[in-house]
Amino acid sequence: MTDSANQAPRSGPGLHTVMVVLSLLMVGPFVWMVLTSFKSFTEAADPAWMPGAFRWENYPEVFRVIPFLRFSANSLVIAGWVTLLQVLTSAMAAYSFARLEWPGRDRIFFLYLGTMMLPGLVMLIPTFQLMVRFGLVDSYLGLILPAAFSAFGTFLLRQFMLGIPKALDEAAEIDGASKWRIFWDVILPLSRPGLITLAIFTFMGNYHSFFWPLVMMKTVDKFPLPVGLMFFDSERGQATHLLMAGVTMSVVPLIIIFVFLQRQLIRGIQIGAVKG
Amino acid sequence: MSNRRSELRRTLTGVGFLLPNIIGFLAFTLVPLAMSFFIAFTDWDILRHNIFRNEPLSFVGLENFVWLFTHPEFWHYMGNTFFLMLGLPFAIAGSLGAALLLTRVSRHPAALRGALVLATLVLIASGLVLLLGGMAEMGVWFIFGLLAAGMLVGGVLTGGTIYRTLFYLPHFTAGVATFVLWKKLYNPQTGPINFALAPVLEQFAAAVQAAAPVFAVGVPLVAGGLMLLLAGWQVRRLVRQWDDAAAGPVAMALGAALLALPAVFLLHWLDVPVPLATGGVLAAAAGLVIFTLRRPRPWGPVCARDAGVSAEIAIGLGLVPILLLLAAGVALGSGLPAATAGGIEPPNWLGDYAWAKPAIMIMALWAAIGSNNMILYLAGLSNIPPELYEAADMDGASPMQRFWHITWPQLAPVTFFIFVMGVIYGLQGGFEMARIMTLGGPAGSTTTLSYFIYIEGFETGRLGYASAAAWVLFALVFVLSLLNFRFGNRNAND
Repeated sequence: MTDSANQAPRSGPGLHTVMVVLSLLMVGPFVWMVLTSFKSFTEAADPAWMPGAFRWENYPEVFRVIPFLRFSANSLVIAGWVTLLQVLTSAMAAYSFARLEWPGRDRIFFLYLGTMMLPGLVMLIPTFQLMVRFGLVDSYLGLILPAAFSAFGTFLLRQFMLGIPKALDEAAEIDGASKWRIFWDVILPLSRPGLITLAIFTFMGNYHSFFWPLVMMKTVDKFPLPVGLMFFDSERGQATHLLMAGVTMSVVPLIIIFVFLQRQLIRGIQIGAVKG
Repeated sequence: MSNRRSELRRTLTGVGFLLPNIIGFLAFTLVPLAMSFFIAFTDWDILRHNIFRNEPLSFVGLENFVWLFTHPEFWHYMGNTFFLMLGLPFAIAGSLGAALLLTRVSRHPAALRGALVLATLVLIASGLVLLLGGMAEMGVWFIFGLLAAGMLVGGVLTGGTIYRTLFYLPHFTAGVATFVLWKKLYNPQTGPINFALAPVLEQFAAAVQAAAPVFAVGVPLVAGGLMLLLAGWQVRRLVRQWDDAAAGPVAMALGAALLALPAVFLLHWLDVPVPLATGGVLAAAAGLVIFTLRRPRPWGPVCARDAGVSAEIAIGLGLVPILLLLAAGVALGSGLPAATAGGIEPPNWLGDYAWAKPAIMIMALWAAIGSNNMILYLAGLSNIPPELYEAADMDGASPMQRFWHITWPQLAPVTFFIFVMGVIYGLQGGFEMARIMTLGGPAGSTTTLSYFIYIEGFETGRLGYASAAAWVLFALVFVLSLLNFRFGNRNAND
C-alpha cells in the first residue's frame, strides 16, 4: 500500500478491486446485521448468514417488546436540545472571541481552549453528585444541561468566523447596527456551514451517548435509544434477531443523515484539527 | 475619559456575548473539577456517607492515591488501557493507506459509465427477483456480489467518493449499536466470525502437521530474520538522521528505547528472567549510543535537542507492535506443530482472557481506519505541493523513495496530531466496549481506567478512589497535551 505514494491520480481495475474489497469488509457486519434481523428466534442461534424466510414481522415485534418509538423520541429530544443550546451559546461566545475587541480576550480564549483537554471522566462523579443535589437525576434536564456548553463548539465556530471579512461588520456598524444585530443578521447567516457542522457533531455525539444516560436515568420510559437497546441483550434474555432489528432501525437513520451531510462533516473535521 | 468609558463598554459587550456559555461552563466544568479534586482526598463512600447514614466526611490526605498505586488491580487496568492503545499504530497506518488509495482513484471516461450503469440495473433487477422468490444459503454470495457491483459502479462514477463514504461509515455509526453487533459477530457458537474461521484453521493445522519440522524451524527463523531486518533498518535510519542533523539526542534516546522494548519482551518470552533481559538490552543500547556519539559529526551544534522527536514517536510506535508480533513468532513458533496436533479451535474471543483484548482492538480498527484520521490525511495529502513530486520524478525517485522522502515527512505534523489525539482519547476510552461487550472481563482483562472509574464511582460507590483514579488519568492526559503543545506546534511551523 505504502509504496504507491501520492502519484498523479490514475486508477485501474486493480485499484478499484482493492477498494471494493475494503468497502465490503467495512459493510460486511452491517449485511450480517440486516440478514439476522430477518431470522426467527431459532435461526438466530445458527451461524449461517441467510434466514430461511424473511420475517418482516420481526420489526413490528420490536415495537411490541420495547417502547422503541419512545426511546427514539427521547434520544431525539435530548440530542436536539443539546444541539440547539450548544450551537447558540457557542456561536455567541465565538462571535465575542472572533469579532469583538476587548481587553483580555485572547488570554481568556486560551484558558478556554485549555479546558478542551480536560478528560470528561474527571468531572463525571462530581457532576452526578451535583445532579443529586439539584434533584435532576432521572430528568431530561439532567442529561441536557451538562452537555450543552462546550469549549469545542466555541473553538470550531471561532475558527470559522475568523474567516469572514472584517469589512462586513464595519459596514453594518456605520449603518448604525448594534452588536447583537450584527451578530444575528450578518455573522450568523454567513457562518451557516460552520453552524451546520457543529450541529451534526453535537447531535451525533449525543445521539450515541451511553455513559451519562446509563447512570442518570432510572425510569424506563425516559431511556434514550442506546440504553434502551440493551434490553435485548441482558441477563433476562437474549433475542438476537430482535436486537438486530432494533440495531438496524437505530443505524439506518444515521447512514441516511451521513450520506446527505458528509460534505459538511468532512469540512468541519478539517477546520477542527487546524489547532495543532 | 470617553476613551476609558468606550473600553468598558466594549468589555461589557464582549463578556455579555460570552456569558451564556461561560455560566454553563463554570457550572458544569470548573465546579465539578474543583469538587473532584476535593473528593480525591476524602474517604467519601456511598455506603457510609448518604442521606440515611450521614457520617462526616474526613480528609485522608494521599491515602486514596497510595491505595491505588499499591493495588495490583489498578496497574492491571492501567496496563489494559495502554495495551489496547497498541492498536493505534495499525489504525493510523490503515487510515494513511486508505487515504493514499483514495487519492489515486479518479473518474473513468464517460463511455464506461453507460455500460456500468446498465450492468448495475440488470444486477439489481435480478437481485430483486431472487430476493422476492426466496433463496438458499448461497444467496449471501449473491448479496455480496450485488453490493460489489454497486460499489464498483459507484466508485467509477463518483471518482472514489463512494469508497470514502463506505470507509467512514463504521466510524460514523460507532456506538452502542455497533458494539452490540460485534458482540454477536464474535459469539463463538453462533457468530459468523468463527463460522468462517473454523474451516480455515482446520486446513492450517493439517498443513502444519504435514510439514511439522519445516514449521518448527522455519517460523522462528523467518520471524527472527524479519525482526533483525527491521531493527537493523531502524538503527541505520537513526544513525543517518543523527548525521544529517535531523534528529537530536532526545529523538535518538527515544528511538533506542522503542527498539529496546520488543527486545526485552522477546528475551522474557524465551524464559530469560526480566531483570537480566532488561540489563542485557540496556547494555546493548548503551553500547550502540556510545558508538554513535563517538562518530565524527559532520555538523556543528545546529540541531535542536528535541529535533525529530515526533518522527521517532510515529515510526517507533509503528515498529513496536510489529516487532512484538514477530517476537511472539520467534518465541512460540517452535511449539507450533505440538500445539496444533489436535487441530486448532477458533478462539473464544470475548470470553477468553487472552483473546478479549485483541477482539476489541480488531473491532476498533474496523471503526478507525476510515475515521476522521483518514479525512485529515486526505486533506494533508492534497496540501503537499505537487512540485515536490515533480522534482522527485526528475531525479528518478522510486515510488518507495517518493513516499519516505516526500509524503511521509510532509504528513508528519498530521501524523503527530492524530497520534497524540488518539492516545488522549485512548486513555479515556474503553468504557462502552467493556460495559456492552464484556463487562470488563474475563477476569478484568478488558477493564480500562474509564471502566474502573465507573465501577468505583457508580457501582461500589467509593467516590474517593474513583476521583483519585480520575486525577491520575488527568495527569497522564495533561502530560500528553503538553507534549502535543510543545512538539506539535514546532512541527507545524517547520
